[in-house]
Amino acid sequence: MSKFLEEALILEQREVAQQTYRLRLRAGRMAEAACAGQFFMLQVREGMDPLLRRPFSFHRIHPGEGNIEVLYRVVGRGTWWLSRCAPQTRLNLLGPLGNGFQLPRNAGSPVAIVAGGIGIAPLCELIHRLLASRGTLEARDIHLFYGARSAGELLPESDLEDLGISVYRGTDDGSLGYDGFVTDLFRKTAEEKHIKPSVLYACGPLAMQYHVARWALEHRVPSQLSLESLMACGIGACLGCALPASAPAGSTADHYVHVCKDGPIFGAESIQWHKIQTHGAPPPIFLYS
Amino acid sequence: MAQNPDARGAAPDLSVQLGPLRLRNPVMVASGTFGYGEEYADFLDLTQLGAVVVKGISLAPRPGNPPPRLVETAAGMINAIGLENVGVDVFLESKLPYLRDRHVPVIVNIFGNTLEEYAELAARLDGVPGIVALEINISCPNVKSGGMIFGTDPAMAARVVDAVRRSTTLPLITKLTPNVTHIGEIARAAVGAGSDMLSCINTVAAMAVDIFTRRPKLANIFGGLSGPAVKPIALRCTYEVLQAVDCPVIGIGGIATATDALEFLLLGARAVQVGTANFIQPAVTAEILRGMELFLRVQKLQSVEEYIGTLDRQCLFPFAEIACGMTDLP
Repeated sequence: MSKFLEEALILEQREVAQQTYRLRLRAGRMAEAACAGQFFMLQVREGMDPLLRRPFSFHRIHPGEGNIEVLYRVVGRGTWWLSRCAPQTRLNLLGPLGNGFQLPRNAGSPVAIVAGGIGIAPLCELIHRLLASRGTLEARDIHLFYGARSAGELLPESDLEDLGISVYRGTDDGSLGYDGFVTDLFRKTAEEKHIKPSVLYACGPLAMQYHVARWALEHRVPSQLSLESLMACGIGACLGCALPASAPAGSTADHYVHVCKDGPIFGAESIQWHKIQTHGAPPPIFLYS
Repeated sequence: MAQNPDARGAAPDLSVQLGPLRLRNPVMVASGTFGYGEEYADFLDLTQLGAVVVKGISLAPRPGNPPPRLVETAAGMINAIGLENVGVDVFLESKLPYLRDRHVPVIVNIFGNTLEEYAELAARLDGVPGIVALEINISCPNVKSGGMIFGTDPAMAARVVDAVRRSTTLPLITKLTPNVTHIGEIARAAVGAGSDMLSCINTVAAMAVDIFTRRPKLANIFGGLSGPAVKPIALRCTYEVLQAVDCPVIGIGGIATATDALEFLLLGARAVQVGTANFIQPAVTAEILRGMELFLRVQKLQSVEEYIGTLDRQCLFPFAEIACGMTDLP
């Protein structure tokens, strides 16, 4: 599928949770071409600082209206600048990029979705596509496990519960819902309620993804994990967004996949998780200098 | 100076002679920033380019460095990709035909861990249709063996160029590192050993740290800085190299606009390579060419050759041209 550049217009920007914004953009070509799980590179500001485009997933895609929605959290200078942009601001998008989620083939069996923090962003479009495509599945058989560090970082309840799906919320600090990591919430709930999903979808911090991947591999459940990495181009030229991958059979050499062109959606089995070094949660404050 | 009386007249001639090469224009894309060309075909008519310098190629495929490999800094980025590439066999079978079929001049950036590897690689690429020159990478700051080690010692640089020169009849471009005290010495050594041209600069050795995690931001600790932040360094290096040798020089470093490119040509560079800017604006080279043509029209120049190397080295105080007219002041 071809990629292209598009000038988008900000229609609305609203803070929907702590340091979390929902951006609605008029971007007709992108809305027509994109699918759930893909991403685009956005130039957050003219000029040389910040220099690089930033990758964002499609939170919602409305082809009929020619709009897309972006959900993002302010984590650095790029997203801070973006949060300052008012309606009518023009932004340059490059996309749609990456492979996107595959919808399950066997209609009728339950689906589990694990979202950590801003990782909920691409999963909302996925949920809408699942609801639209699965006539034989009750909405409540779509199980969403949604966690964040604290209550203020979670999207409002009405955004998700109104869809009729089964939503289980948790927070790392216990300020809302389950007290603990969303991966523990998922593991315990799946066990107690005998949820055996046909597919496991996830998006969130790498540390969370590691635990989701481990569960998927232990329980032999096919998984589609939306991963992220620092990238400069988004189109496979810079090779900056490498992640250690399972080597081809018989090989012991280092082997990498690239999030932008091989992903961002990967099966749990395709990544060598033990080789990924992470520093855990991002810092609690940010310096804009 | 020849002048075009009508700025709306015939388009200025952008073609340049670069040693033995005649290029349709002086704008190339830098190695490592354009993949193998196909990645950018959705955004840019590749035939517009003077040449494509493809991702650095080694004899065997290389996986590259562990992540994180990339970090953004003020007006630049630091990378430690580690020369990940598909290896010469896959390049020749699967990557080169795409560019060759589109009649895009291809310059292959080559590197090895030993002199023998450089020589063998050059021999493999010799006479391959579509390849117009080799760019010898002796300046990558991100790999432990080979790489920049060859580019910081004049004797070693000469030995690499000599080994390649003996293995191919293709025109040779040696890519220089700024991470030396006297870049002119390396330039002289490379040209003395048979390099037809020089390109400068490769990335600037750099580092970034995280105050929260108290760790380096790159797994490799060091990386190469590129982007607008390095342009002043690149201009200085290009100027020094032009003073040191009498051969065509290709300017590289922080070029993101036509103005940037024209600054290097003003010094005497006969072509430029655009690097990091490709990541941000995939069609930036087309914009640079449009801007360059407009500049030449405004300057009433019929060809870019008339502009190259026209720097007046005497620096005047700003507004001196006005002050000099004020002869009636006491």
